[in-house]
Amino acid sequence: MASDFLDPPAQILDTATNSTYPVRFHGRGGSLFGIQIVNLFVSLITLGVYSFWGRVKVRSYLASQTEFAGDRFAYHGTGRELLIGWTKAMVLFGIPLFVLAVLQVIVGMESDLFDVLQILIYTVVGIFIPIAMVNARRYRLSRMSWRGIRFSFRGGVRDFMAIYIKGWLLTVMSLGFYYPFWQNRRQTFMVADSFFGNQRFAFDGRGRDLFLSFVLHMVLTLPTFFICWFWYWARVQRYYADHTSFQAARFRSSVTGGGVFGLWIGNAILFILTLGLGWSWITVRNMRYYASHLTMVGALEFADVMQEIQTATATGEGLSGFLDLDFDLG
Amino acid sequence: MQLQWFGYYLDGQSAKRRTARIYLEPGNLRIDLDDGVMLNWPYAAIRQSQGAYAGEQVRLEHGGEPAEALLIDDESFLTSFHQLLPSRAGGFHNPAKRTQRFQLTIIAACASLALIVGSYFWGIPTLAKIAAPWVPVSWEEQLGQSVLEYVAPPEQRCSDPVRQAKIENMVDAMLATQGETKYRFKIHVVNQPMFNALAAPGGHIVIFRGLLDRTENAEELAGVLAHELQHILKRHVTRSLLEYASTSFLVAAVLGDVSGIVSFGVEAAQMLAQMRFSREHELEADAAGLQMLLAGEIDPAGMIAFFESVRKEESNLATTLPYVSTHPQTEVRIARLKSMIAASAASSRKLLPDYSWDDIKKICPAPAKPAKP
Repeated sequence: MASDFLDPPAQILDTATNSTYPVRFHGRGGSLFGIQIVNLFVSLITLGVYSFWGRVKVRSYLASQTEFAGDRFAYHGTGRELLIGWTKAMVLFGIPLFVLAVLQVIVGMESDLFDVLQILIYTVVGIFIPIAMVNARRYRLSRMSWRGIRFSFRGGVRDFMAIYIKGWLLTVMSLGFYYPFWQNRRQTFMVADSFFGNQRFAFDGRGRDLFLSFVLHMVLTLPTFFICWFWYWARVQRYYADHTSFQAARFRSSVTGGGVFGLWIGNAILFILTLGLGWSWITVRNMRYYASHLTMVGALEFADVMQEIQTATATGEGLSGFLDLDFDLG
Repeated sequence: MQLQWFGYYLDGQSAKRRTARIYLEPGNLRIDLDDGVMLNWPYAAIRQSQGAYAGEQVRLEHGGEPAEALLIDDESFLTSFHQLLPSRAGGFHNPAKRTQRFQLTIIAACASLALIVGSYFWGIPTLAKIAAPWVPVSWEEQLGQSVLEYVAPPEQRCSDPVRQAKIENMVDAMLATQGETKYRFKIHVVNQPMFNALAAPGGHIVIFRGLLDRTENAEELAGVLAHELQHILKRHVTRSLLEYASTSFLVAAVLGDVSGIVSFGVEAAQMLAQMRFSREHELEADAAGLQMLLAGEIDPAGMIAFFESVRKEESNLATTLPYVSTHPQTEVRIARLKSMIAASAASSRKLLPDYSWDDIKKICPAPAKPAKP
């Protein structure tokens, strides 16, 4: 039966061992710009309400233009979900922050209360960041699919809060030297609780592997006018990819400091010359660069991956029952 | 015409991808899978979630989540669909309409630009003006009360009932020209050397000793009070808050998914807009304040004289003054007020004719003089 199929496109065998699975991005700046400009127009005439639906269009385009092992990703979020998420974030954090900021304007710089308010603002933002990071990841992964199978993130907000606050304090107390360990802890949390269907991603990176490199770049910061951090960043990306696995395959990233630096210079020039209107092309350049430098090497058995959809509204975890609201920061 | 397409079928249960042959049949879409299974999807139950852009796979979904999906690389499937079954293809993208979409995109771009410019110069301030009266006065009073606690702590307020009454009488004379108002006005003189005065929402006017000391007659203070009273009557603080919120909205709508480095630009845009709006409020308070003076038969020369002393302070660049930085260019304001006075023919009478104005400055206990070495 299958033999009489007309010339099927070349495809990667599902059961190969030690195959290389490429990632490709096919999107075009012009198409993305078209989407974004229409989004802008409709958002303006709907007083911004449409922007959530517009955002879905952009994400959907970016996902469907990204190909892994011959198949495209798909985005399943809806404007309604984003609107509800935004409203929740607004009520919980936006309004308190807004009130604090307004009070600050009212009391003025000279007042002692200005600093008290500033500390309060930092506290609210500080609490907001880890909650937002976890929830955004949970939401976004749950709305992404490949070959019809959803991704998911199953880590809890409370665990991440502990990692985040502890790491932040240790980083400050160690004058920054703890940073690579903190970064690694966060990455471990984010990756090791991520799933594709019913199967988990694994991460085996260690903070100490990046420590020397981190110290070296700290030393080089001033002599290189901070430019060396592009190299560190690329190094971290490669390291994290190499230590992320799924089934019997590992990611491989070939991004380089020079490559990322060149990309950024190009983007900055594009941004300035187009007065920001070239943003769509910048997005496409970034996507293309990172996709083309990412592959997966090893053996993947896709037939073993079964659907296991997670709702992104987590409940019943005590405090996190309140914290685990599935909003998305966009 | 092509009647058969090649594609992939995903069952929504496993990540296994099956090859499929797809046929556009009159009643439904027929899908022959590689293992011999045949599926029939009624057209009305199919959703197209991808394939509206060039180079994008056509993705058709069927059933509730997790949906089955059909992926077709060749977009000519859509063209044939529209040609063969125009009555069924209504909800599906038609690649033939892409040029039309391109033209609409250009129109949308131009219209967006016009809308942004329009909202910035006209829409946002107008919207705030319309919305402000809907904000309950009690909210303003609460906000004003907390502002007052910070800028004029009770222990720094000068309490001298006799002199206070003189200022309040001036305020009452001006308010008498305004008809009914929802506000209960209260004047607070604060024992601080700042050359400043401010209006907190809900009816509180704060005059700093530094400003009072610089006035040479009752008319000058009346000019300041008229300006501040109008800030409250015109609800400028409420409008600023509304304008701030709607600018945020506009910026968010414009930028949508953009984040990161651009957020610095957002801050800058907000600041610029805020400065522009506050300048407009100042000019409005000047004009309405002046009208109030004229209606109350108070000599507007006092207001002008006050602004002249503000200008003198400005030229004294060694000191930075809050009153100066938040207000529009003083010379422009003076010229504007003068031309408005010239256009009116109101008479005026002297305020507090039998009162030596310097006496009012004793409302605050004299500051301790620094001991001479």
